[in-house]
Amino acid sequence: MLPGRSVKRHFIRYQERQAQLLRDEIDALLVPLCDSASLCDLAQEPLTKARRGLAKGTARDLPWPSLALIVCEAISGHYERALPAAAALQLFMAAGDVFDDIEDADSSDSLSARYGSAVATNVATTLLILAEKALTRLSETGVADSVIVRIMDSVNSFYTTACAGQHLDLSLAPDMAVSEEAYLRVISMKSASQVECACYIGALLATTDQELIDKFAIFGQNLGMAAQITNDIQGITHSSDIVKRNITLPVIYALTQADERARNQLELAFRRPSESVLDTAQIRDLLFHIGAIHYATVKMQLYKQRALDILSEAERAGAIVERLKPFLE
Amino acid sequence: MKSQALQELVKKIFGDDKTRLQFESNPGSVLARFSLTEQEKKAVLATHAKLGLVTTGSQQLEAAINPTANWHAPRP
Repeated sequence: MLPGRSVKRHFIRYQERQAQLLRDEIDALLVPLCDSASLCDLAQEPLTKARRGLAKGTARDLPWPSLALIVCEAISGHYERALPAAAALQLFMAAGDVFDDIEDADSSDSLSARYGSAVATNVATTLLILAEKALTRLSETGVADSVIVRIMDSVNSFYTTACAGQHLDLSLAPDMAVSEEAYLRVISMKSASQVECACYIGALLATTDQELIDKFAIFGQNLGMAAQITNDIQGITHSSDIVKRNITLPVIYALTQADERARNQLELAFRRPSESVLDTAQIRDLLFHIGAIHYATVKMQLYKQRALDILSEAERAGAIVERLKPFLE
Repeated sequence: MKSQALQELVKKIFGDDKTRLQFESNPGSVLARFSLTEQEKKAVLATHAKLGLVTTGSQQLEAAINPTANWHAPRP
């Protein structure tokens, strides 16, 4: 067998093991809901959705809450003590997804579309409370109370930033005059802050070296930015953001840098409701032609480089970062 | 992160055939005309080495962004 394939298989087994332990941790948290079977089922739905980490048989489906585990292991050699924290982040993510669906009202298979916003709001609130409860379970993995309090405070601070970013985003949308600077600030607050949080608390559970903890936080922020811009690129290449007329980084570049004719076409295309005479494929081609996807790809690369640079610093400080590098190459 | 020089560079490459040809044959000579940071230069060159100019959706582009996409960023 090729060594590379063996390493890959080993990594998949590692991911599967983590996902199983996370599922077990979350199952334990859901036990109090068993008396209300339908609430338990509804709460599990956003947790086990595809591409959110806990769907069975999806070894490559590694969500960002796992970063808390991988970072903890990179510093201390073990990740088990961080499982309740990763479970908390998984629950926060699921709650955020349900709230997003209520706010966006653009998905026909969401809980709010199928059961109404009242039921969906209650499910999301339940997930938030379970997330806070998950953090208190850190005491069962031997984490000192003072560290648990610090983690709870940090998580709440990061998520306050995420909520402020979401508010800013809702206030700006669907403003086509949004600047790149404002857009980057929004995604830094609402998206990258959550990835930063996962890395920060993973490090906090592994070391008291504040300098190293801060390095992993910066790593998480840059990885989060790169991941969000990746989503922006895929939103154009897969057309979903064109269909939804989402103003993302490639669109902002195009609206500010394209010539007048192309800019007019794009303004009509991204207006709500759209007044475009171009179809989705033509709009996508236009964005490629202007260089908007190229520009976003360079920006993604820039954040990846920063993440890799800070990872090298963490490595020099003694962390074993091999499991984090492949996602940035 | 302000990116005015980077925006100008990409605009010039995609809007001017002469600059595009020059960039494709000797990217360094074009980069020298713009006040990019060292990190920006490195990012431009790394993207160019991996993908050339990104002018259409391709398996190459998907392959380049997939490792980061696997982190499943919080939804926009």
